[in-house]
Amino acid sequence: MPLRVRLTLWYGTVLALVLIVFSIMLYAITARNLRDTVDESLEDTATTAVRLLETNGFLPLIDEEVLLSQFPELTRIDKFFQIFSPSGTITIRSPNIKEHEVPLSRTALDAAFAGKSIYESAKYPKEPPLRLISMPIMYRGNLLYIVQVGTSMESVGETLHRFLILVLVAIPIALSVSLAGGWFLAGRALRPVDRITLAAQRIAAGDLSQRLSIPVAYDEIGRLAATFNNMIGRLDASFRQIRQFTSDASHELRTPLTVMKGETDLVLRKSRPLEDYKAVLESNLEEIDRMTRIVDELLFLSRADMGEVKVESMPVVLQSLVEDVHRQAKLLGQERNVEVVLGTITPVIVQGDDLRLRELLLNLVENAMKYSNPGGKVEISLLRDGQEARLSVTDHGIGIAPADQKKIFQRFFRTDVARAHTKKGTGLGLAICAWIADLHKGRVEVKSDLGQGSTFTVVLPLVTLPA
Amino acid sequence: MRVLVLEDETKVGCFIQRALEEESYAVDLCEDGAKGLEMALATDYDLLVVDVMLPGMSGLDVLKNIRRERIQTPVLILSAQSQIDQRVKGLDAGADDYLTKPFAIDELLARVRALLRRGATESPGVLQVDDLMLNPATREVARGGQRIELTLKEYALLEYLMRHTGRVLTRPMISEHVWNQDFDTFTNVIDVYVNYLRNKIDRGRTKKLIHTIRGSGYMLKAD
Repeated sequence: MPLRVRLTLWYGTVLALVLIVFSIMLYAITARNLRDTVDESLEDTATTAVRLLETNGFLPLIDEEVLLSQFPELTRIDKFFQIFSPSGTITIRSPNIKEHEVPLSRTALDAAFAGKSIYESAKYPKEPPLRLISMPIMYRGNLLYIVQVGTSMESVGETLHRFLILVLVAIPIALSVSLAGGWFLAGRALRPVDRITLAAQRIAAGDLSQRLSIPVAYDEIGRLAATFNNMIGRLDASFRQIRQFTSDASHELRTPLTVMKGETDLVLRKSRPLEDYKAVLESNLEEIDRMTRIVDELLFLSRADMGEVKVESMPVVLQSLVEDVHRQAKLLGQERNVEVVLGTITPVIVQGDDLRLRELLLNLVENAMKYSNPGGKVEISLLRDGQEARLSVTDHGIGIAPADQKKIFQRFFRTDVARAHTKKGTGLGLAICAWIADLHKGRVEVKSDLGQGSTFTVVLPLVTLPA
Repeated sequence: MRVLVLEDETKVGCFIQRALEEESYAVDLCEDGAKGLEMALATDYDLLVVDVMLPGMSGLDVLKNIRRERIQTPVLILSAQSQIDQRVKGLDAGADDYLTKPFAIDELLARVRALLRRGATESPGVLQVDDLMLNPATREVARGGQRIELTLKEYALLEYLMRHTGRVLTRPMISEHVWNQDFDTFTNVIDVYVNYLRNKIDRGRTKKLIHTIRGSGYMLKAD
C-alpha cells in the first residue's frame, strides 16, 4: 500500500477513534449534568415543600384543595407532588398527576424510614421517564409523611437525542473533510520524495553526475536531498578514482604486453638469425619482470587498502637502519655509477615496523639513484627536530616541477621527465612510501627544483621512552 | 613511403619502426610530442603513427595542431585505451584510424596500407603502369607477367614512383618520401638506386618506363 494511503488511513482511524471517544464522553457528561440539574431542582422543590409544611405545623393533611389554598406556591411549580403516609398510601397528590398512578416504591419507603431522601427514575410504557425524589418529614424521630416530587425527563431526553443526532451527522462529515485534507497534505509532503525517487532511479541507472535539485526550504526533505547529493558526490568521486586507477593499471600492464606481443610477432614473421630471437626473449624477460613488479606492488597496495598488511609496532633504532640501507645502496650505486653517502646522522628511535621502514627508505634511495645523472651523488641524513625524526634522501638528478610535486604520490603518476629518464619505474613506489609513512603516523615531504634535484624527507613522530 | 612514428615507449617504437622498415617504408621515430609536431610540420610524411600518451605534448594535441595547419597526412592513433569514448575522441581530433595496444603486427601493417591507399588520389589495390604491376599487400612486382625480385629500398623507390606516375619527382622529394631522417643528402644514393631499378625493370626491354628529367629528377611513365 502506498505511504500516502497508509498515512491517510492511519490519520483517519486515529481521528475517528478520538471523535467517537470524545463524543461518548461528552454524551455521558451531558446526560449526567442534565439529570443532576433535574435532581437539584427536584430537591429544591421538595425541600421548599417540606419546609412549608414544617413551618405551618403538621396539620392533618387530608385534602389537597385545603393544602393548595393554604400553600398557593405549590400550584405554581412545574412538577407534580404527592404526599404519602408512612404506610405508603397517598394522602395528597397535586392535580397535574391525576392521570398517573405513581405508587411509592419499596426502596423509597425504606429510605424514608431511615430518614433519608432518595432519587428514583420511573418508566412507564409510551411515556417519557419520570424522575422522582422522596423526602421524609420527621417529627421527634418518627416518620410523619413522605413528600414525593417528580418531573418528566422528556426535555432531557430530547436534548440528548438531538445531541446524539448532531454527533452522528457531524462525525462522518468531520471525518471525511479531515481525510480529504490528510490525503492532500500527505500528497504534498510526499511529492518531493517522489521527485527524489525518480532522480535516484536515474542516478542508479549509472549517471552519477546527476544531482537532486534541493528544495528551497531547508526542511527534512531538503536535508534528505542534501545528504543524498553528498553521498552521490562521494560515490561519484570514489567511482571516478577506481575507474582512473583501473584504467591506469590496465594501461601500465598493457605497455609491457604490447612490447612482448609486438616483438614476438615481428620476430616470428620470417626466419631470422638466432641472435634476433635471443634479443626478443631477453626483452620479454625484462617486460615480464616489469609486469611482475607492477602486479606485486598493486597487490601490496590493494591489501594495504583492505587493511590486510600486518604491521609490527616495535622500537626501531633509525640510525642503524639507515646504516644498513646505506651499505646495500652503496653496492647498487656502484653498478649505476651513483655515489651514495651518509650525511648528518643523529641517533633516533621511533616506534614502528623495521621491515616496512627499511622498504620505505630503500625505495626513496633507489628512486634517488634512478633519477640521478651518471656520476651523481645521493645523500642520506637523519635529524631530530623537536618531537620528530627527519629522515632525508637528497639527489641532484632530474627534479620535479612544482605542479607535479603533489601528484607524485598518486598511484601510477610519473612525470614526463621521469618517463623520459627511465622506463624502469612503475609509478607505484612513492604511493607505497606514502602509505608506509602514513601507517607510522608520519608523512613524506618533498622539496625539489626541476633539473636541480630533489629531497624527500620522511617525518616520523619520536617515541617517548620511559625515563 | 615515409612514416613518422611518435611513441614514447622505446621498445614499442623500435619494433614498430622495424616492422615498417621491413615493409620498405622509410621510418622516423620520435619519443616526444612537441618534437614530433615539429618534425611533422617540417617534413611531408605520407603517414603518421601517433601514440596518445606522449611527454611534451599529448598525441591528440599533436594531431589537432597538424590538422590546424591544414596538413591532411593520414594519421593512425595508437593507444592503450580501448574505451569507445577514447576512440571517438581520437577520431574526432582528426585521426583516420585507431589501433588499441597490444596489437598484431599484421593488423598494424594492413591499416598502414589502407591509410596510404586512401591518401593517394586514385586508389586501386594494385598499382599498374603499362605492363608493370606492383601489389602493395604482397609486395610483389612483375613486368609482363614476369616476377621481379627487388630489395626493400628498390621496392620503396618503385612504389613511390608508381604512386606518382607521370609527375616529375625531384631528388629532395624522393629522399623525403623514401628515405628517413638519417639520409645524407650529399650523396648520390638516389641515382644509384634508380640505376638498380632500371637494371631490373627496363633492361632488355624496348619500352623504357623510368625516365631521367635532366636538371630536375626522375619520372615514371608509359610513353
